[in-house]
Amino acid sequence: MASVVLKNVNKIFPGDVKAVIDFNLEIKDKEFVVLVGPSGCGKSTTLRMVAGLEEITSGEIYIGDRLVNDIPPKDRDIAMVFQNYALYPHMNVYDNMAFGLKLRKLPRAKIDARVKEAARILGIEDYLNRKPKALSGGQRQRVALGRAIVREPKVFLMDEPLSNLDAKLRVLMRTELSKLHNRLQTTFIYVTHDQTEAMTMGDRIVVMKDGYVYQVDTPKNIYDHPANIFVASFIGSPQMNFIDVKLFAESDKLYVSFGNAKLVIPDEIKNKINPSYMGKEVVMGIRPEDIHDEPALLERYPEYCFYTNVDVVELMGSETFLYMDFEGNTLTARVDPGSSAQPGDKIKIGFNMNKVHLFDKDTTNRIF
Amino acid sequence: MMFESGVNLMKEKTSEKIITYVLAILLAIVILAPFYWLVISSISSKADLLSTPINFFPKKIYTENFKKIFTGGLNISGGEVPPFGTALKNSIVVAGLTSIVCMIVGSLAGYAFARMRFFLDNQLFVLIIAIRMLPEIATIIPLYFIMKSLNLINTITCLVLVYTSFTLPFVIWMMESYFETIPIEIEDAAAIDGLNRFGIFTRIMLPLSLPGIVTTLIFTFLTAWDEFLFALIMTSTYQSKTLTVAISEFTTRHMIDYGLMMTGGLLAALPPMLIALVLQKYIISGLTSGAIKG
Repeated sequence: MASVVLKNVNKIFPGDVKAVIDFNLEIKDKEFVVLVGPSGCGKSTTLRMVAGLEEITSGEIYIGDRLVNDIPPKDRDIAMVFQNYALYPHMNVYDNMAFGLKLRKLPRAKIDARVKEAARILGIEDYLNRKPKALSGGQRQRVALGRAIVREPKVFLMDEPLSNLDAKLRVLMRTELSKLHNRLQTTFIYVTHDQTEAMTMGDRIVVMKDGYVYQVDTPKNIYDHPANIFVASFIGSPQMNFIDVKLFAESDKLYVSFGNAKLVIPDEIKNKINPSYMGKEVVMGIRPEDIHDEPALLERYPEYCFYTNVDVVELMGSETFLYMDFEGNTLTARVDPGSSAQPGDKIKIGFNMNKVHLFDKDTTNRIF
Repeated sequence: MMFESGVNLMKEKTSEKIITYVLAILLAIVILAPFYWLVISSISSKADLLSTPINFFPKKIYTENFKKIFTGGLNISGGEVPPFGTALKNSIVVAGLTSIVCMIVGSLAGYAFARMRFFLDNQLFVLIIAIRMLPEIATIIPLYFIMKSLNLINTITCLVLVYTSFTLPFVIWMMESYFETIPIEIEDAAAIDGLNRFGIFTRIMLPLSLPGIVTTLIFTFLTAWDEFLFALIMTSTYQSKTLTVAISEFTTRHMIDYGLMMTGGLLAALPPMLIALVLQKYIISGLTSGAIKG
């Protein structure tokens, strides 16, 4: 059990390819941190640097209180789970799990106890004598987890461990990993490109893109207060709607206008906005669930409403997605399945203006 | 309807099977006929062998060739029979040593090229492959002079060095491509589990590349075993001649001792056959290992 600290870590590959740029993060003991971002964002490289599989170009990495820059992977007291499992094909499940312990010269009885305990936790006791090729994908991933668990490391590193599993198994393993974290009480660093995994599993999420950290925060804060347009668009599905709007004040009220629509900004938000944005173009973001079509609600807030054309209606069962066109902007709304909207209809919709996000058009950063 | 089509399918399958078997038998005859003749010739007396019409099986099993080839004596033209046993031993030593040297150096070098990045690594690799492209015969005169200046003509060492020089590039190439098929994450996992680079090589990479190693090993052994031209040029004493050269000497200026030659050929064919038989399960998986994952 240990904290992990990355200070000004950079990774530049030969050919001046900057994979990770000035990465700073303090991971607390027992914390579950998820690094998330599109492929090529540097999240796996960061994890591999913590593991010691990749040298760092500059900066410092601490595990516990120990500077590990020059310590080989085997002495860092970490365990790693890989996307393609990376089991030893020539060893059976038992030996796969026991291998690291044998190399550390643990007593045979202790190895046996740890392997059997891990196998019990993961439900793979019946397969201990099988070779990896005789296992299904889910079983292999459990063995890979088992190999990490038996080591009783200070830090668990996981590189997209669920990506090779089918959708159903992925959801199942997601909850099992969360349970495992609670049970083991160890620091987890988890890499994924899947925002759902990040949202559901992480104590904190690190959103990365092109080698930079875009935001570090709890899942709720990342969702409710994305720091910039990239984070806002990456987290959440279907993704947030973005509309170019103009901010202007009129008789002590603040408005946004786009096309022929003019919506009022609630006072709490208005007070937080820097007055220098008055009269300027900004980007407004609104999540699909914050666009409403329930008539009762719309009547109560006429100042938040306008008309649009419905292009596509997607019935999901528990909810319905409406894809609408408003003067060149595509809007996605997540509405009640009871909605009567049909493709081609012109309907009245309302934005929940208390939930809008406003971003600077040039820096793409949040402006309140 | 369903049953009818089922019957048709079965008929088709039967005829397909017959065709397959006929073709397979024909192919087997083409491949095995020379070998059969090799066996027959070695156990036929000269009279049986040269009689017309041809005897496809000797009237009497004639074992004199086997005695003569190992104990020496006079051949049919009255000349001395070269010591075949020494040549057999030389071939085993030369092919064995060449294989061992090539496999040790080749797998280490192949691993380095597959996994490590160092100064001019790609250029070096291309250079090594390029050497393989060179016709071997082009190097025979320079190699002869080098060996002569090193006082290695007529030695086993000379042949091992020469064979290694033109087999090693191929071994490096084969092993490099084999190592590249093994997912690098397995090595990462082993590094975290506690192995250093050499431990990863010996305890993970070598066991996993067994099919590749065996295939390459057989290839190397056969190349050295079958080589004739360099052996002919570089050796002229009985102490250093290999099988291929020894067999050719059953052809003298005046006549050819077919019986001894065929016996020599049969004996020369046995060790590689034995090796192939013992290791064939690895050869097959070696050939298909690159095709599918895992």
